[in-house]
Formats: sequence, structure tokens, C-alpha cells
Amino acid sequence: MSEGEILEKLRQSIFNYDAEAAAKAANEAVEAKIDFRKALEVLTEALRSLGEKFSQGEIYLPHLVMAADAMERATKVLQAIIPKGEKIGRGKIVIGTIQGDIHDIGKNIVSAILRSAGFEVYDLGKDVSIERFIEKAQEVGADIIASSALMSVTMPQQKVLEDELKRLGLKGKFKTIVGGGPVTQEWADEIGANGFGRTALDAVKIVEKLLSQGG
Amino acid sequence: MVSFWEVLDRAINTGPMLEPNEFDMLIFRKTSELAKEHDIRYDPNTPVPSDDSLADDLFEAGLKLYLETGTYCINSHRQIKFSEEEIKDALKDVPSKILIGEGAEAKWLERRDIEDRKEPLNLGGVIESNPQEGEIFVKLYQSIAQEKVVDGIYFGPSPTVEGRAWRAGSPLEVHAGRCAASWVREALRRVGRPGLHLITACPSAAADIATCDPGNGIRISDAIAIPTTTELKTDYDSLAKVAFSLDYGCYRNPYWLPMIGGYAGGPEGAAIAGVAGAFHSALVCQTRISGFNNAGAILIEPKGVQTDRRVIWVTSLMWQALSRNTNMIGGMGVTTAAGPGTEMMFLENAATAIAIVVSGGHITHGIRKAVLARPNQGSGLEPKFQGEVAKAAAGLKRADANEMIKALLAKYEDRLAKAPEGRSFEELYDLKTLTPKKDYLEIFYKMKKELGELGLSIE
Repeated sequence: MSEGEILEKLRQSIFNYDAEAAAKAANEAVEAKIDFRKALEVLTEALRSLGEKFSQGEIYLPHLVMAADAMERATKVLQAIIPKGEKIGRGKIVIGTIQGDIHDIGKNIVSAILRSAGFEVYDLGKDVSIERFIEKAQEVGADIIASSALMSVTMPQQKVLEDELKRLGLKGKFKTIVGGGPVTQEWADEIGANGFGRTALDAVKIVEKLLSQGG
Repeated sequence: MVSFWEVLDRAINTGPMLEPNEFDMLIFRKTSELAKEHDIRYDPNTPVPSDDSLADDLFEAGLKLYLETGTYCINSHRQIKFSEEEIKDALKDVPSKILIGEGAEAKWLERRDIEDRKEPLNLGGVIESNPQEGEIFVKLYQSIAQEKVVDGIYFGPSPTVEGRAWRAGSPLEVHAGRCAASWVREALRRVGRPGLHLITACPSAAADIATCDPGNGIRISDAIAIPTTTELKTDYDSLAKVAFSLDYGCYRNPYWLPMIGGYAGGPEGAAIAGVAGAFHSALVCQTRISGFNNAGAILIEPKGVQTDRRVIWVTSLMWQALSRNTNMIGGMGVTTAAGPGTEMMFLENAATAIAIVVSGGHITHGIRKAVLARPNQGSGLEPKFQGEVAKAAAGLKRADANEMIKALLAKYEDRLAKAPEGRSFEELYDLKTLTPKKDYLEIFYKMKKELGELGLSIE
């Protein structure tokens, strides 16, 4: 099978939300000694186009989740041909719904969109304590901590997270982004968060911007 | 008959185990299959369908979904599943009418037919408007309660109490809940409607239970709102609210909001999940004993909005399915993109309210703006308008309502993503006289006139 055919199989595995097919095509890419960068680019582009379709309402959250799962399966296989020390992910993000809040669908969408954009996402679920956010971020060497709050009564915990990061001297180490129903840019500014996403799709742009700023 | 104690057994100890993401994907797989199997297809040109066989097909699809999934308990990771016989048995028990409120404000809340000439009730008022604590809270709810067309009020705690922001599940939330209940009762007394029906909606069970106080809070003629996490999920707090309300004797008001674009998929899947929610209500939330429901679709973007034509289609079809096949009492509230004080909010309000009423529903959770831009974003004039529109829509034919709603949609739907923010209670009302300011009243009358020109005659 030619390189083009294998790369097309990889692409189609994402469009078909097929994790098994993605792993199989990735194996074929490894055996054919295809440049891993080409394989990753094909996968990322396919996911990006699915992200666009999601934003247009043509596909739904489960499609994004399945596509991101397929991407992860393929990436795991491709690890075999990625030189040690080569950074392939675009950045690491720890994400969760803030303590006291059990709403997670918005957070799940952001998680799926970030995964589909090639970021390494550690999703802690819902009702996540401040301590857990920070512990996980330190454990994985995260770049960004993202918190979601869907109720005005759970939003204050986002400030508690900011204050705790400052208290521990970690504010410079981890950037923070906030989102969720009642959350606004004004709130993000007030508490000192680095970024705010009004919609789930804003998340990728904001993360890219924050990571490009360095520091 | 499945007792609630058996439901708890299944939730906590005996139900099949499943990981949360497996349950979510099960929902998606089944709704996708069932939409094809039953040929359920969203038609953007018919936000209010007039197809009884489609409604019945949807009911069958919803039943099959619930038979497969049951309700998922988030805490235990168990499915609470029921047999078809158990579901049908519970549906037979569901009362077709309940008496809410007290004294002069006691009212029958009954199931409605599609195109029913019986006027709907107008419950809820303004919900989740970010009301600030203290006297302004009382005045805001007073402005709602003084409107005779409001038949009941839904409330939750103000975001701060004693000057402090409280966290859900904390002791301060308990105090916030009790304060909110006492302030709403005060508002009712001030307008001479002490018996008006109330619905409490604190995040935690402890706080909701704390609001139950015949003297100064929730009475047995009132209700506790019972949330369902999207899709078809419950948790120990919601189950605790059910357990308490069964013992205390107040009504249960389950609500579920299938999300278009979420785990149920598109409009078709959301409609199927919407019908399935009714079985969850009857069995897990025990509305087979008593209660009423608030259910309808929401969008992912714009967040939580319920006035988009897809939402209207899902909500209308779901309630038509339930009205034709069950005794379920319920309806929906309206969550708008635009804020109070804007023409657009009235247009959105009217479109969705008309759809709910002709489809067999009541207004059950009032009106609110989806994303609040400031504190106290609500007033009595929005539920007044909503109630007048809803009652005027009683007896409309679905086909006529469909045309009316399409005309209304044309006036606002391209602005849903960038809707005007609106104003706060203090900006819209004279706080001394508790009357709407002149400019707000002018918008109110202008919108009523526009609806009259579309064929909806409002007294």
C-alpha cells in the first residue's frame, strides 16, 4: 500500500469515528516507515475539520468524543516511531468542573474539542476540588488549568483556585482559563484568570494564544 | 408496582454497573438507531408539527430508549432499569390533576390535550435571575406575585447571603435557601396572595429540605424541583429530594432538558430522550404518586437557549407525544437569549410559550435569560406577558400556531448568537410603586399589538 493510501486510511478512520481502524492504519504507517509528522498532521487536520462541523451543528458531541478516541489510539501506536524527547502534543491541559458543580456537558465539549485539536487533556470530571486541580497539574506538568462553572453559586470556587495558585507560588507555572454559563470576561479579569472562553469553540483559540505567549 | 425503596435498591446496590462515558455513548447509539427505526426526522419548516402518528412514533421510541438505558445514578455508577410492565404500570398511576397552592390561590393543575381549549397555568415567574439578597429580592418577587396571571413562583437562593457568597452543599447554602423561602413568602403576603404555589430549587437536597417549613417556607401544597443531569442521570441529592418530599408530602417537580448536539445527538435524538425522561419522572422521581414536570430541549450554543426553532420542534413534539399517550402534567419554561427590557425577549417568550401550550403543556418554569449579564435580571412584566400569551394560545390549532411561530422566529432567530443583554429590575421598574417604567410598558404594549397582528388576540 502506498504512503498516500495509508494516510488516507488514517484520515478516514477519524471521519468514520473508528478507533480500531485508526490504530490499524497507524500500525501500517509505522510498518511503512511513514514520517510520523505527516501521520499526525493528517490526523490533526481531520479532527480540525470535524471541530468545524461541530460548530456548524452538523455533528454532535459524541462524534467529537469518538473522533478524539480514534486520534488517541492512533497516536499511541505512532509513539513507537516518535523519537524520545520529541514533543508531539501541543500542550497539556488539566480540565474539570469546579468543586460543588456537577454539570459537565460544557466541560466535556471543551475537553473533546481540545483533544481533537491535538492537546493532551487530563479531564478530572466534575465537582473537582481545588487541591485535585493543582495536584494533577503538577503531576503531569500541565501548561494550563481550565475550570468550568455552570452556576453562579459555584463560580466563586474559580477565584479560590486562583488564590490558592497564588498562595502556593504556582501562578506563573500554570496558566488558567475559566468558562461556564454565568462566567464572563469581567469575572475572569476580576479573579485574575489568564483567559476566558465564552463558547466551547473559543477554548482552542484561547489555549493557543496563551501557549504562544510563553512564560 | 415499584416502590421508591426498590428504586433506591436498584440505584445503590443492585442495578447494572456502567461507566459514565459508556452510558453516554449508549444513549447516543440508541437514539440514533431509534430515530432511523421510527423515521423521526426534524423538519425546520414545521417547528410545531401536526402529525399525530409522528408523535406516537416518538412515544414508542422514547419507551424503547428508556427500556434500554433506564436512569443512571452518577454516585453509584448503576443503571436503574425497569421492565416494560413496570413502566406501563407506573404511567397508569400518574394522576391527571393535582391541587396546588392554598386558600384563595388553590388551583387545579391538570393534564392538557393538544390544542386544548382549557387555559394553561402560568407557573414559575422569573427564574434564576441572579436576585440579590434582602429587600430587593422581596421586591422582585413581589413584582411577579402581584400579577394575577401568575399562578405560581419558582425560586432559588440569592448568590450571597449575609454578604457572603455561598458554595453549593455548604452550611451557608442551607441558610441561603431558608432566607430565600422566607423572602418569597413575604413577597406573597405583601400582595395579598399568601397561598400562591411555590417551587423551591436549591442546588443541594439539604438546602431544599431546609426550605420546607409550613410557617415560612415550602408547604405541602408547594413543590421541590428535582433536577436530572443530561441525559437521564440522577444522583443522591436528587434522590434525597424525592425521599424527603414523599415523607413531607409536598409535590415533586422533576425537570429534564435534553440537549441538542449533546449525548442524545440532534433534534431527533433529543426528542426521544425527552420522552424517555417522562418515564424517569414517573418511576425514579415518583410523579406516579404526584407531581408535575418541566421538560424541553436546550441548545449547546447559544448556551441554554430555548427559543431556537430546533428547540421548539423538540419540545412541541415531545409534549404532543406525552399528551397523547400519558396523563403526565407538565410543560416548560422559556430561556431566552435576549434580556429583560428588550423587544427580542418578548418575541422569544411568545414563540416558545405558544408552542408549549398548543402541544399540551403549561408554562411550568417561567422565563429567564440564558446568560445573565447583571444582578436582578428579571421583573414581573416578563411572566405577565408570558401568562397572557399562554392563555390566549389555548385552543389554537397547531397549524395556525406553526405559522405564528415561524413569523416570530423570522423576527429574532438570526440574532440569537448576539442578542441584546437587557436591563436589570431596578432599571425597568419604579421600586417605590413597583410598577414598570414607562418605556418598558411601551415595549410590552407594542409587542402585544404585534402578536395581535399575527392573529393572537390577547386580552
